Amino acid sequence: MKKNLLVMMLVFLLAILAACAPDRAEETTPDDAGEDGTEEVTEEAKPEKLVIWEDIDKSKDWLPAAIASFEEEHGIEVEFKELNMADKIRDQLRLDGPSGSAPDVVTLPHDQIGQVVIEGLIQEITVDETVLETYSESSVTAQMYDGKLYGLPKATETPVLIYNKELMEEAPKTMDELYAFSKDFTKGDNYGFLALWDNFYFAHGAIAGMGGYVFNEAAEGLDRDDIGLNNEGAVEGAAYIQQWYQEGLFPKGIIGESGGAAMDGLFNEGKVAAVMNGPWAFQGMRDAGIDIGIVPMPTLPNGEPVKTFMGVKGWHVTEFTKNPYWATKLIEHLSNDENSKARFVAVSEIPANVALVDDPIIADNEGAKAVAVQSQYAVPMPNIPEMAEVWGPMATALQTLATGKAQPQEALDEAVKSITTNIETNHPDK
Amino acid sequence: MDNLQTTTNHKRNALLLSIIPGLGQFYNKQLLKGLIFLIFSSSFGFVFFEMIGEGFWGIVTLGEIPKLDHSVFLLIDGIIAIIITIMGLAIYAFNLYDAHQNGKRRDLGIAVNSVRKQYHNLIDNGFPYLMITPGFFLLIFVVIFPILFVLLLAFTNYDLYHSPPNNLVDWIGFQNFVDIFRLDIWRTTFFAVLAWTIVWTFGATTLQVALGIFLAILVNQKDLKGKAIIRTIMILPWAVPAFITILIFSGMFNETFGVINRTILPFLGMEGIPWMTNEMWTRLALIMIQTWLGFPFIFAMTTGVLQSIPDELYEAATVDGASIMQKFFSITLPLVIFATAPILITQYTFNFNNFNVIFLFNGGGPAIPGQNAGGTDILISWIYRLTMTSAQYGKAAAVTMILSIIVISVALWQFKRTKSFQEEDMM
Repeated sequence: MKKNLLVMMLVFLLAILAACAPDRAEETTPDDAGEDGTEEVTEEAKPEKLVIWEDIDKSKDWLPAAIASFEEEHGIEVEFKELNMADKIRDQLRLDGPSGSAPDVVTLPHDQIGQVVIEGLIQEITVDETVLETYSESSVTAQMYDGKLYGLPKATETPVLIYNKELMEEAPKTMDELYAFSKDFTKGDNYGFLALWDNFYFAHGAIAGMGGYVFNEAAEGLDRDDIGLNNEGAVEGAAYIQQWYQEGLFPKGIIGESGGAAMDGLFNEGKVAAVMNGPWAFQGMRDAGIDIGIVPMPTLPNGEPVKTFMGVKGWHVTEFTKNPYWATKLIEHLSNDENSKARFVAVSEIPANVALVDDPIIADNEGAKAVAVQSQYAVPMPNIPEMAEVWGPMATALQTLATGKAQPQEALDEAVKSITTNIETNHPDK
Repeated sequence: MDNLQTTTNHKRNALLLSIIPGLGQFYNKQLLKGLIFLIFSSSFGFVFFEMIGEGFWGIVTLGEIPKLDHSVFLLIDGIIAIIITIMGLAIYAFNLYDAHQNGKRRDLGIAVNSVRKQYHNLIDNGFPYLMITPGFFLLIFVVIFPILFVLLLAFTNYDLYHSPPNNLVDWIGFQNFVDIFRLDIWRTTFFAVLAWTIVWTFGATTLQVALGIFLAILVNQKDLKGKAIIRTIMILPWAVPAFITILIFSGMFNETFGVINRTILPFLGMEGIPWMTNEMWTRLALIMIQTWLGFPFIFAMTTGVLQSIPDELYEAATVDGASIMQKFFSITLPLVIFATAPILITQYTFNFNNFNVIFLFNGGGPAIPGQNAGGTDILISWIYRLTMTSAQYGKAAAVTMILSIIVISVALWQFKRTKSFQEEDMM
């Protein structure tokens, strides 16, 4: 009896399995055709509405007005929603895209572009050359991946020198000056200058300024096989970084995960004369009652500027939009000079528009001006996904340098070795 | 054997008829039940047929056309289809079994239950099942489903370059497991992390358990005054949310500005210790913090057990001339361990996967040259790194599987060995 039962169950199961395959095949073909068809038809046809995902707390006071003018001009309704840009927008897009509730336009930090392009979450856009000319060249480069344009720049940020006006009368022009000042000023709990140089994001400035680079530029974007993090310049930069730690100018307490919090705390207590930090830190320092001055980073001992990493936030058209044409028009509209200016006034993020650099509203703003000037020397963070393998090993190298456990050359050789191995393991050749 | 005594063969007939659910019950003249079976199974088939079919197709192929087929969603649909199929088969099997049983009753000349009697039967015998059914269904989708998902993911090549919607995920068999043990960077890191995970699990847990039991016995001494206040204080570390405690400790252990290096150690005449930048010291600090976080629970539990140990045992031991140590090792400790063993085991498994304290204290750091995990990364925090920075979802799932197998087998072995699971009563 039992055998019979089993046989019957198997028959039942097979019947189901046999029934399924054609079922599915029939479904895929019309679906496929349908999608292609609609895309061609709607190329120029106006959709009823477009949806934008903007960073959290970054839409107040400017986006409604920008949307209103777009609606007036084109008669397309636009809705927006706020989501955390650092990870939430990407994660949500992964889920909402395939299920059909994806937005048409999103904002992302540019170092995620490579990853989301490979996953197929955003699409290439085509805009007029005249549109591209309104943004700084480096910010447009940051939006390119594999030689194709994937978005328009919304805002840029890069670390600058922030100093406490009560402790430092005049901002130094060179790092040597700052070093001399620091030697003199650093005593007990007081520090002349602090920077999180065990974190590659900040350390890159010194390393690149001395001649190091992450991935070399190639014809079609960045060459992942040409890593310049253990070349002569990089080693010099690392030695320069190590010097600050070795001579006790940087305390051990600002090394590691919680180092940033320790440094901010010290600065806000008025114990640090100057720090290297990004524009996101300005407000907190002012709130702490510190009278801050903001200038571009001083030049390195070799006369070169500190080549900080630049982050570019951009507007992107999602892969899932049914109206790429109008979505592109929308992001052109959102990042035009007028709206970028309104956005800067509202949220203080520095736009990438060339015309706005000399606009009094930015030129007269100490922080914005310093960031804008520093951006000229800054290098956009590599946006290829291989970059994910760089942060960890470089942090390891810099940390062991900072704690004196390793020497520059060997630490960087070790880092480059693990970066290369990780890239080979996790990123197979295309 | 029954066959020999009966002339009719309702049993077989009913079973065969039940291939179409309900017919066997009709044959047995149980109209209502048959109707329920018929309606239930036909609607089940009607509703789920297409879904199950697509699900099976999806889980076998994981999609064929990039951008149109979303491999991960297909995998999920496939798992749901499997779960639903198993449920359907269970109902179907029950239908066959029921027809067969009732046929047998008729063969033996026993009257088939009336509707009323069936209802009473259901309420009397089936009540517990009826009650646990909703919870059981919830369990299937909240617990079993994710486990199956990770299990299957470990056998795919799901990573950044095989991410939907642009690309398809494929089945790759045991490749992930092979890679973990074959590729240098994975192997060295895996074993380094595994070694520390084991040291961490045994070190931290044993310390917290030992401290908890020790303090509980100390505070439980008869002559001690102010037990209530002492116990309250002992419970306090447990009352503060763990993540706050960890973050505060992280600040206290800061090498330059932390109160430990700055005030406490100099007071004791010691030099500052590199808590955050030397992995041995970070490990020591972590074990101490976990002991602090974990002992109150053991303390509270042991206190409860101690109070239930009858005084007569100790009195008898005293009469027999036992020393204090003998009393402790022959009466107190065995009874405490006996009563708390299952919970002690869960403490070990908990620490094996104790992500919070590792991640919040120093983010798995300090960095160690030559491996892609930090010096205090345990397996679970390393997996987090793998998925978050390198998008190696398939590999992370494989490591998760290995990790689960270790935890489950140790826990099972321990549970089976523990007396509290074998004997009803020890005293």
